[in-house]
Amino acid sequence: MKRLLLIAALASAPLPAAAHKVIAGVFPSGDAIEGELGFSNGDMAADAEVIVTGPDGTELGRTRTDSDGFFTYVPTTPVAHSFHANLGAGHVAEVTMPAEDVARILGAAPPAAPAPAAPGEAPSPTGSALGAAERQAIAEAVRDEVRPLRREIAAYREHNDLQSILGGIGYIVGLFGLGFYLAARRKLAG
Amino acid sequence: MHIVDGALSNPVVIGGAVAAAGGIALGLKTLDLDRFPTAGVLSASFFVASLIHVPIGPSSVHLILNGLAGLLLGWAAFPALFVGLLLQAVFFGFGGLTVLGVNALNIALPAVLAWLLFGRLIGRGSPVQGAVWGGLGGAFAIAGTTAMVAAALALSGEAFLPAAKLVFFAHIPVMAIEAVLTGFAVLLARKVKPELFVRGIAA
Repeated sequence: MKRLLLIAALASAPLPAAAHKVIAGVFPSGDAIEGELGFSNGDMAADAEVIVTGPDGTELGRTRTDSDGFFTYVPTTPVAHSFHANLGAGHVAEVTMPAEDVARILGAAPPAAPAPAAPGEAPSPTGSALGAAERQAIAEAVRDEVRPLRREIAAYREHNDLQSILGGIGYIVGLFGLGFYLAARRKLAG
Repeated sequence: MHIVDGALSNPVVIGGAVAAAGGIALGLKTLDLDRFPTAGVLSASFFVASLIHVPIGPSSVHLILNGLAGLLLGWAAFPALFVGLLLQAVFFGFGGLTVLGVNALNIALPAVLAWLLFGRLIGRGSPVQGAVWGGLGGAFAIAGTTAMVAAALALSGEAFLPAAKLVFFAHIPVMAIEAVLTGFAVLLARKVKPELFVRGIAA
């Protein structure tokens, strides 16, 4: 019995039991699409398989999330990319990046590629014309800075404030009050 | 406990919606003037209960309170829980609108079953005895809901046993907490307002 309880406790411990709200987001990251998967209680979906499909449902590729719930995918065609992940027990994440965003990523990718070929002329003292490598580094730094903010905004959006709770209770009171009124009228008439 | 949009196959979603509609119709028929306030209060408690997270280990679980609603309302638990689920979906994005029927069925049917099994026993004997049966009913409703969720997932193609185990083990703490809560609620109601359950038997 004790062993059974222990197994039950171990089996139940790492599960995001009540985290029934799945958070999924994708955003452009250089020449790749970066995304994150997690639950509204802060648990991230580690090592989950993400299936990437095009607008017509054909599979474009697969990727896996890392231990922090992040995944990256390098697009090859400028179509809308749908990211689909089954996190088990009825938790399904589905998020789509529109075609124009993907096209912008693909448009950004080619200029970055020839950058190492011409590094000599890039560092100009004027400062206005930054080299591709510098631009890349700045973009990376900005992305790293913005990432926690992004996560905070996502968490904030999931936040249930007192107003919506009271609003919901108000709806319930109103609905059952209406039902009560109708039932009472029927009783008086009958 | 709330299955989200897109996790289930269409036949399951449609079947769930039809069954839930039947349950709601049946429940509305039994919902008379005297029980409307009870239904409203339990609907509101169900709506709020899911927001109360109880941290257990690295994760957290939330209360469902469907057993209590079932034991007090019988078939009328269907409309009461449906209203709570609908508002949860609209306000908090729990579950979704297309799977509302399946979710309502998953949560309300075990509640009704708990009432059919334990409803009679609660009104009998001493208040403490009634409370014990009430606690059992509360735990039973959660266990039934996990089985229903697993079955809904299985009908949509997921393997039944792993899914059932996953959902069931994750909710063992909830079962314990709900059993205690429902037991105490029944104990209090038996002492303060015993006719609540006597009428439940008559209905």
